Order: sequence, then C-alpha cells, then structure tokens
Amino acid sequence: MKRIFDTQLIGPFAAMVIVALIVALTTERFLNPGNLSNLSLQVSIVALIAIGSTMVIFTAGIDLSSGSMVALLTMILAQMLKFMGIPLMLALPMILIVGGLLGLFIGLITAYGRIPSFITTLAALIAFRGLALTFNNGSPIFSLDPALEPIFYGKLAGIPLPFFYLVFFYGLAAFVMNFTKLGREIYAVGGNPAAAVLTGINVRKVQTTTFVIAGFMTAVGAILMSARLNSGSPNYGQTLELQAIAAAVVGGASLAGGRGNILATLMGAMTIVIVQNGLNLNAAPSSVQNIVLGLIILLAVGIDMWRAEISALMGRIFGRSSSGSAQKVKKGA
Amino acid sequence: MTTATPLWEFVDISKAYPGVLANDKVRIKLLPGSIHGLLGENGCGKSTMIKTLSGVQQPDSGQILHNGQPVTISDPQVARDHGIATVFQEFSIVPTLSVGENIFLGNMPRSRFGVIDWAKVHSEAARVLAEMDVDVSPDAITGTLSVGEQQLVEIAKAVAMDARMIILDEPTAALGEDEIERLHQLLRNMRSRGTSILYVSHRLDEVERIVDEVTILRGGKVVRASGETEINVSEIISAMVGEDIGEHYPKEQNATAEVVMEAHGLATASGVTDASFALHRGEVLGLGGVLGSGRTEIARALFGTDELSAGQLILNGKPVRFRREMDAIRAGLALVPENRKYDGLFFNFRASGNITAASLGGLSRLGVLNLKAEEQATHDLIRDLEISTQAEEKTVNFLSGGNQQKIVIARWLFSDSDILILDEPTQGIDIGAKIAVYKLINKLTRAGKSIILISSDHDELLAMSDRIAIVQHGAITRTVEASDLTHDDLVRASADTTETNLEEVFA
Repeated sequence: MKRIFDTQLIGPFAAMVIVALIVALTTERFLNPGNLSNLSLQVSIVALIAIGSTMVIFTAGIDLSSGSMVALLTMILAQMLKFMGIPLMLALPMILIVGGLLGLFIGLITAYGRIPSFITTLAALIAFRGLALTFNNGSPIFSLDPALEPIFYGKLAGIPLPFFYLVFFYGLAAFVMNFTKLGREIYAVGGNPAAAVLTGINVRKVQTTTFVIAGFMTAVGAILMSARLNSGSPNYGQTLELQAIAAAVVGGASLAGGRGNILATLMGAMTIVIVQNGLNLNAAPSSVQNIVLGLIILLAVGIDMWRAEISALMGRIFGRSSSGSAQKVKKGA
Repeated sequence: MTTATPLWEFVDISKAYPGVLANDKVRIKLLPGSIHGLLGENGCGKSTMIKTLSGVQQPDSGQILHNGQPVTISDPQVARDHGIATVFQEFSIVPTLSVGENIFLGNMPRSRFGVIDWAKVHSEAARVLAEMDVDVSPDAITGTLSVGEQQLVEIAKAVAMDARMIILDEPTAALGEDEIERLHQLLRNMRSRGTSILYVSHRLDEVERIVDEVTILRGGKVVRASGETEINVSEIISAMVGEDIGEHYPKEQNATAEVVMEAHGLATASGVTDASFALHRGEVLGLGGVLGSGRTEIARALFGTDELSAGQLILNGKPVRFRREMDAIRAGLALVPENRKYDGLFFNFRASGNITAASLGGLSRLGVLNLKAEEQATHDLIRDLEISTQAEEKTVNFLSGGNQQKIVIARWLFSDSDILILDEPTQGIDIGAKIAVYKLINKLTRAGKSIILISSDHDELLAMSDRIAIVQHGAITRTVEASDLTHDDLVRASADTTETNLEEVFA
C-alpha cells in the first residue's frame, strides 16, 4: 500500500483540498449534498477517460484522439440502438470492443509504424470527428433508449452510480500500475525506452497496450456521455482530450514519461472540476472558466517545477531550511 | 615552468550542502604551463570544486586569486571572460548541430552586419581541429560521430576560445588508447604555451604519465596538497582511499574446458566483418582493440540488436539465431551497455525496479508482480554487492556511478543469465567501485557464468581476462592467453594496421 499512496499523491491531494476549501468558503451552495453528488457526475466522464490518457503519458506518449473518439462512439451507439435494433445489453459491450479496437489501431500505427503518438492521435482527432459526421447525415440522434439514462443518473444507496465507476476503474488502474508486470513495463518504457529494449521488454507491445486501454476507457466515457444526454452527436466530446491530459498534468504526471501516479490524475480531474463548479455556482461566464482552467494548469505544473525554489523561499521567510530544498541541492552535488 | 605567481590560486574554498560539507577549506595553486591533477574518490568534493571554479556555483567562503588579484567568478560567463574553459564529464555539445557550430556555440564569429560568418566558422573550426590533429570535418553532424570524437569536439571548444586555464573532468573516460595519446599530446602542447590545466581523472595510469602536480581530496578536505606527493600510483591510491586497498586486480581463475558459446564468422551491416571465438564456462574473454574497432558492434551482434548478415552463433552446442534482444535474454545472455546513463538505467525507479526489470516475467504470476520477493531480492543484492542502502528508498539518479553500475550488473545476477557481455563496466567510476566490479566478475565466474569483457583500460583488460580476442576493423584477428600479453603487446596488436585499411574503415 505504501507504493500506491506515495509522496506523488500528497501534492495533488493538497491542491485539491486547498481548492475545495477556497470554493467552500466563498460559495455557500458548494457543500450542499446535491452539489457534491453533482460533482461526481461532472468529473466522471473526463476522469475515466483520463485513466487511459495518463497511461499513455506514462510511456512518454500522448493521446489527442479521445474527444473525437467519444463523438464517434456515441454516434455508433446511437446508430445501433435507434436504427439497427441492437439491444442495449449487446450494444454496450460492442461499443467497449470498438473503442478498444480503435485504440489498437492507433497503437499499432504508432508503435510498429514508428510514427510519434502526437501525430497519429492528432490525425485520429481530426479523422474520427469526420467519421462521426458520416452517421445520420451528420445530425445528432436523440431519445435512444429509456434504459440508457440510469447508467449515468442511477443511484445506489443514495450515491450516484458514476461514483462507483470511478472507484472501480481507478482501483483497477492503481492495481495495474503498482502491482502488475504491465504497470512496471509502462513506467520502464516511459523512463528509458533504450534500456527497456536492452532488458527484453517488448516496448512496442507495451505502447500498443496503453492505447488499447485508452480506447477502452474512452468507450466507457462515451457510454456515460450517451447515457447522460440519451443521445449521440458528432459534436460531443470537444476538447475532452485536452481536459483529460490537463487532469493528468495537474495530477503531476510528467509528459516526458516514467513518472506520475494514476490516482493523482483523479485528484487533478477533481481539482479542475471543483474550480469549474465554484465558478458555475457564482455564475461566472464560460470565458472566465476557460481562462481560469488555463491558469490552473500553468500553476499546477509551475508549482511542481519550482517546488525547490518555493520551499527555499518558505524556509527563508519562516527562518528554517526545509527538506524540499535540501533534496534538490543534493541532487545537483 | 616558473615558480612565480600562480595563475590562479584558490584559498580556503568551502562549500556546504545541507548535511554535507562538500569542500572544507580547499587550497589549490595552479601554475601557468602546468598540468595539475585533482584526484579523489567519488563524493570527495571534486565536482563541487569544479563547479565553483567554473562559476556554476558560489563558494560559501574562501578567496579566488587571479594573478594575485582577488576576483569573483559569479557565473560561467565571467569564468569564460577570465579565460577559464571547463570540459565537463557530461557532454554539453548539441548532437544535431555541426562540429563547427558546436565549437563556436554561444560565441559565433559574426560578419559586419551581425550575421553569422559561416566561412569563418568553417575555417576557424578546421584550424582548431587541425591544430589538435583531429581528423573530423567541421561540417560533420556531431551526433553522428563516435563518443570519442564527440569528446574531442568538446575539448576543441576550449581550445577555440584560447583558454588560459582548462578544467578537464574525466576527459578520457570515453576515449580509446590512441585517442588518449593524441589528447595527451595536445595537453602537452598547451602546457608548453603556458596554459594551466586542471586534470580530473580516475585513470591513474594516465595521471602518472601526464600530470606535473597533484592535489588529492578526501571527504571534502585536501589530504595531499600540490607538490607534496610523489606522483606514484600506489601512493596516490592509498591517499585517496585512506587505507591500503590491497590487490588492485583481484583476478580469480575460474575458466573450465566446457564451451558455452561459439561464434563462427559473424558479420553485420553495422561493421562486424568476421568474428569467430569460443567462450568457456567460467571464463572472462576480453575483447581488445581501439575505440571504433568493432568491439561494441560484436556485442550488439551477439545480443540480437544488429542482424547477422553472415555467420553462425552456437549456444551450448545448438545453433541459435536472435532476431531481437528479447530472444538473446531468454537464451541466457545479458548486456551491460557501455553507456549506463542512456542505455542501462531507469532513473525513475529505485534499485528494485532496476534490478528486476529483465526478470518481470519470472517475478510475476498471471501478470501480478510478487513485490515481496522483489524487495527481498533487492535487499539481499544491495547487501551482497555493497550497494549504498539509499538505493532501497531513493531513485537511482541519486546514486554514485559505481553504485549505479553495480545495480545494472545486479539486474543480470537476478535474472540468472549465463553469459554476460560487459561493455566498459568500470568507465567513470572510482577505484573502490572498480575493485567491487572486479570482485563481482569473480563471483559470477565462480558461479559458472561466462563473461565477455570489453574495456579500453588495457591494464584492466589484461588483468581480468583469461583470454583476449584482438579486434581490428570488425574482425577477431587472433585470440591469445591474457598472461602471454603485455600492455605494449596489446597496444601494438590492436593498433597494428596499414594506412589503406584505416582509410577503408573510416571512409
């Protein structure tokens, strides 16, 4: 357990708590039970997709395709339910498989075609959105299935179901990253791909696997998106891929690969959503929300990069040297 | 050489890091036209001293005198303005730029209109390289050169700025014997022109050859000051380590008659032309030859990195063909690469992740790792190999080079490989750590493992190998008992070549 709840979690957790405190102190309605359960709904889609995005980032890759893939998958799901008469219980697993296959496709081209993931997923970002428009003449499809909505809005013991999805998938992801061969290989590939090859790790297979996971988790997100709005639309999921990456980055994942904690991504997503929620409750326009989101990303990474300087400054202000600065200086010795 | 005013004098320089007094009143006098060796084990404060002298950091106390006048070296630019050039152990060249651009990086000759004067970059770079007797085109892309040539480009930067004082930190770590000789000649030329040179090296044999004076540091303090110590290897070692270290090369004879691997006429597109040898159980087979002779390429061919274009590899009597590294590792081979920083270590892992990286399959069941077994095995290996216990808690970037190298070797101990290829295993690590690596080689051969040792340190290669295969131009020309060879034989044998052959190889 020591491994999962390591020091990499403290920063993102503290950031989340501080942000929550600030919002709670300035916004009356924030702590209403209704609002809090609303938070888990709001965070669920981006946080679930961010599991895959984070694993790709751990291998030093990037996944820009998830937002468009959500749109494409909601359209395929809508097509299946509305026009092809496929029952929901069959359509859902099929969507998960399609998501995994799309991820596999991207992963194979990236790893075996030796094309940087930034390029392959940028191409997918553009192409999937186009592909989504080929369904139903590019129009959204509404009123899919009455049984779809409870997947998102349903509750168990008064707690919204998406909360349980988050617990389940983040639990699974934390297990994979910390206790399995695959998790270790993901960190190894991101940490030093050349050394990974020389130690017999199948680097390409590991890279491909992370994209399959990313595709699968995007499909989970797409199902929740369809359930939330009981519809499919080629316009869904715009900039969702960037929000997922932002969650990973605010959670402290290094875009250079090899470093980060998957649970911190959940904290990162929560931090972002709490800020958005606070601004919403105070009726801030969406323009302001975007500006604030941009600043949060900058601040989160900045605090991480300048940690040594900040703690040295704190030490000077409060008249004692802190352990953070000691570590940084020793490293340079 | 004059005994007049020192060019530079560093008086009572102290520098503390939290928890460590890295430099404790260090005094060094640098005379013009003198090569001054700064020696000591890893962690003795050499790097700290170099950083202070080159303006990378400020001392906590102490005085720096230039021609007798106190000065402050507030940043690296000030150091350059004072004529101090530093060639750091870690290269500071830009691999995608040309040799000429690297030599004048940050100091490009400009024409009247402020535009870079490319003709001058080319001609000046060519002049510097010719002066250094380095056969590299100023237009070559630096990243495509061999490590040794890149090191020479690094030194060319210092030569180009007409430095009056040059600090060289482990300049020969990546160089072959003839390149070292060329560098030494260059340093002697600079010395005769009055340049003051501060020379940091772990290769004590070469220190003996080139250095005029030594200062030895231990635990941040000067234990032998300039001129105090005779330049004599065994005395230097005992001053550095602070105790008698005993046998420098503790070689054990563990070779048996049983052949574990045979290579017949191996060739690759990467430059192996004809490599044949037999490796016995418990044997250390040394590959001798100059840098660029194809030793590393033979290792790559054996390990499945480079595809064989001809020849046959036989393992335990059975023909094998490795299409990639994974196949070789499954068959019981291991490679400790020349460049542990770039190809060997996972800096995001602690010792445990690094040690088990090649054995994750065996350590897991249905894909789930046995973390308890991992911690236990890591703990045992850290104890057995005398690796710093910090490695259990900290990521390996916090460890010294010697500890890092032991961890890379520990990886293959843990994976229980039968044949280990060690490419420059003691490069850039201090004496104590080197001896630990030699003991590790003994431990491995005693357990019936076989080792292919590649080393540019001829003394080490002669002392630690049972037999030595001479490599020239990608071919193994002959294999001889190590005890039948002397240092000079090895130098001559590996350099024995005709002009035309050389041109073919470097064309």
